[in-house]
Amino acid sequence: MAVPVTVPDATAAPAALTERARPVSARHFVRLKLRVMGNNFRGQGWRVAMFVGGVIGGLWFAATGFFLLAAPGLAGEPKYALMVAAFGGGLLVLGWLLLPLVFFGVDETLDPARFALLPLTRRTLVTGLLAAALVSVPTVAVLIATFGLVLTAGMLGGWAAALVAAVGVAAGLILCVAASRAVTSAFATMLRSRRVRDLAAVLLAVLAALLGPLQIVVLAAVRQADWDRLAGVARIVGWTPFGAPWTVGIDVAEGRAWAAPLKLLITAAAIGALLWWWSRSLESAMVGAAGGGTAKARSGPVGGAVRQLFPRAVGWARRDRFGALVARECRYWWRDARRRANLITIAVIGIFVPVMVNFGGASLSTADGMELATPDSSPVLASLSVIFVGVLASVTLANQFGFDGSAYAANVVAGVPGRLELRARAAAFSVYVLPILAVVAVVLAVVLGRPAWLGLLAGTLLASYGVGLAVNALISVLGAYSLPETSNPFAMNSGAGLAKGLLTVLSMIASTVAAVPMVVAAALLGDVWLWLALPLGLAYGLGAALLGTYLAGDVLDRRAPELLTAVTPRR
Amino acid sequence: MTDEHPALALRGLAKRFDGKVAVAHVDLDVPAGSFYGLLGPNGAGKTTTLSMAVGLLRPDAGEAWVLGHDVWADPVRAKQLLGVMPDGVRLFDRLTGAELLAYHGLLRGMDPAVVDQRAAELLDVLALGDAGRTLVVDYSAGMRKKIGLACALLHGPRLLVLDEPFEAVDPVSAALIRDILHRYVVGGGTVVFSSHVMEVVERLCSHVAILADGTIKRVGTLSEVRGDRSLEDVFVEVVGGRTATGEELAWLSR
Repeated sequence: MAVPVTVPDATAAPAALTERARPVSARHFVRLKLRVMGNNFRGQGWRVAMFVGGVIGGLWFAATGFFLLAAPGLAGEPKYALMVAAFGGGLLVLGWLLLPLVFFGVDETLDPARFALLPLTRRTLVTGLLAAALVSVPTVAVLIATFGLVLTAGMLGGWAAALVAAVGVAAGLILCVAASRAVTSAFATMLRSRRVRDLAAVLLAVLAALLGPLQIVVLAAVRQADWDRLAGVARIVGWTPFGAPWTVGIDVAEGRAWAAPLKLLITAAAIGALLWWWSRSLESAMVGAAGGGTAKARSGPVGGAVRQLFPRAVGWARRDRFGALVARECRYWWRDARRRANLITIAVIGIFVPVMVNFGGASLSTADGMELATPDSSPVLASLSVIFVGVLASVTLANQFGFDGSAYAANVVAGVPGRLELRARAAAFSVYVLPILAVVAVVLAVVLGRPAWLGLLAGTLLASYGVGLAVNALISVLGAYSLPETSNPFAMNSGAGLAKGLLTVLSMIASTVAAVPMVVAAALLGDVWLWLALPLGLAYGLGAALLGTYLAGDVLDRRAPELLTAVTPRR
Repeated sequence: MTDEHPALALRGLAKRFDGKVAVAHVDLDVPAGSFYGLLGPNGAGKTTTLSMAVGLLRPDAGEAWVLGHDVWADPVRAKQLLGVMPDGVRLFDRLTGAELLAYHGLLRGMDPAVVDQRAAELLDVLALGDAGRTLVVDYSAGMRKKIGLACALLHGPRLLVLDEPFEAVDPVSAALIRDILHRYVVGGGTVVFSSHVMEVVERLCSHVAILADGTIKRVGTLSEVRGDRSLEDVFVEVVGGRTATGEELAWLSR
């Protein structure tokens, strides 16, 4: 059954030869979104189950956030109210901005490209899509959580403050959604034109790089426990779009009522600017999707067909089924924007997160100012941080067949054995990931100033990556889902985006648990482990990957047609 | 030896989607060496039937044999004899035409040298050689059909199953595809293809089956099914439905 493409009331438009078309409002978009979400669940018990799981996760987050944000009010501590509001709210906006880029993708239940042929003004489309985007589990969760701010404002400043805070929270929520849409949309448009993709990689790297210094600054500030200074920072954040909508209630409560309209104005201006930016990139996204990619005449082919298929990096592979699968996957990891975005994420996060974690206890400023302090990391902490990298890298394969979509039919028709299929895919992915892991290990060892840890780091990375491959081989066969056939690398299908995020989290937890022996060994064995970690980690990871693909390959042999159905997008 | 078996035999194939019957009960025998047209209106279950016949979609009931090999019990042997071009299914389209052919050839366990030689010939004959390093995703619809056909033909299958091979193909390419398929059948191969274009079927096929509402309504050689009428008349009669407008849509003629 086709997803309804037209807005119900807009279908009356053909009669407009005589009548005036009825105006389309945001209400229609919201109804359309609810309808699409509802249709998605029909006859799909597990989808309902996943959605319920997502709702529970959202409620848990909402409750936690609510009590954190309401704490100053409940405890009667006005001193911290502004700080909690500014930093909590700022983190929220930052999360909406960055998380879709890095992890979860943006819910594209209503794909803008589908509206390309309808006579809608850009203004109608943007407000409509924004309204539809506001109807989702995460937004409801955030609304509940930020109600804690309203409570705080109310307890400290009475009804007037609560009312202003409520207005601020609503505006803040719209700001969050508008920001995430604008950023992902702009990013997707950039990634679509192949020439600019490298620039996009740099941008993402810069964004992630900004997280590092920010955290160090925050940690340094916390360590010095200089509450006055922190309050000063909070006051400044409160005047930026990041903090403005969340702090208006506190301002009123603390007797700075004049600040409220100014801050709301700042928020409104930010929302307006974001929506304008979004509408610009929306237009090019719609045109791009309708017009197809730009065909470019490349230089003539060299050599036979087989030689063209194999990239230089896998020139070692035999010219047989396994080699063909590896070569094709390698090409895809580079040519498919969605996959390439994942690789970039692994590279950037893989380097920054361990560095940040291991510097967590260090302070930046020493007596003579500029010198970097010695990090007080330990083998256990280092192991834990790189396990995260290995697990993050392998979780990319959790829906590896979803990347293929219906094209996977070619492999089913050819009758590719399951083990061969899974091992070739893991091998091709490793062509990209193993060099990244090597760089991570070396950079980390150098930055920490502990070259002797190189074996420990590399061994732990390999072990965690290997067990991750095993876990995700199984998950990719059993929990596959279809990705929309858009070129937006951040698009998710259907309204169950959060639930699919849960599957990712589940996979990461399972992989981490399987990698725990490496941490235990690091804690118990002492210096011997520095030597043993690399060979044992390599053996453990390789063994796990072989075992995992052995078991999952059997399942795949039995389930190949079902898997194909699962990853084929429904139209 | 295998020639005693029909090229494709379907017995009682059935499939439901969400409680809705897509294919009710299909029996079909495709004789070896025939050019078989599967006709049907949109939504008749053509794609579903062919998908079950080639092992892409597991049937709720029924069996399928390719030259005597059960597709669902002995898939490896059956799939070796099969060349398939599905419709509405993407190719691995971020490869160039040559790369895609090499992938399919090696996936079928062919010798690399043979793959190179056949791929070059196919690209040349199908006029896809000029595309050079263009990715298949940037091909036109007709070019995509042609490269899909080339992928299905590459390993020299005994049975070709093509879903809508003439959809969205320009007349020149269609003539080319017809010629290739004709040579293939003359050379001893068997072709089964689905279509709703009567002219193509009348021109090419030795046998015809008309599928509607998930069951076979008419089956036999072209002359048996057609009788002394045109195939279109028979088709419309079998399928039913209206072919002319009445009082409605008056506003169209203003």
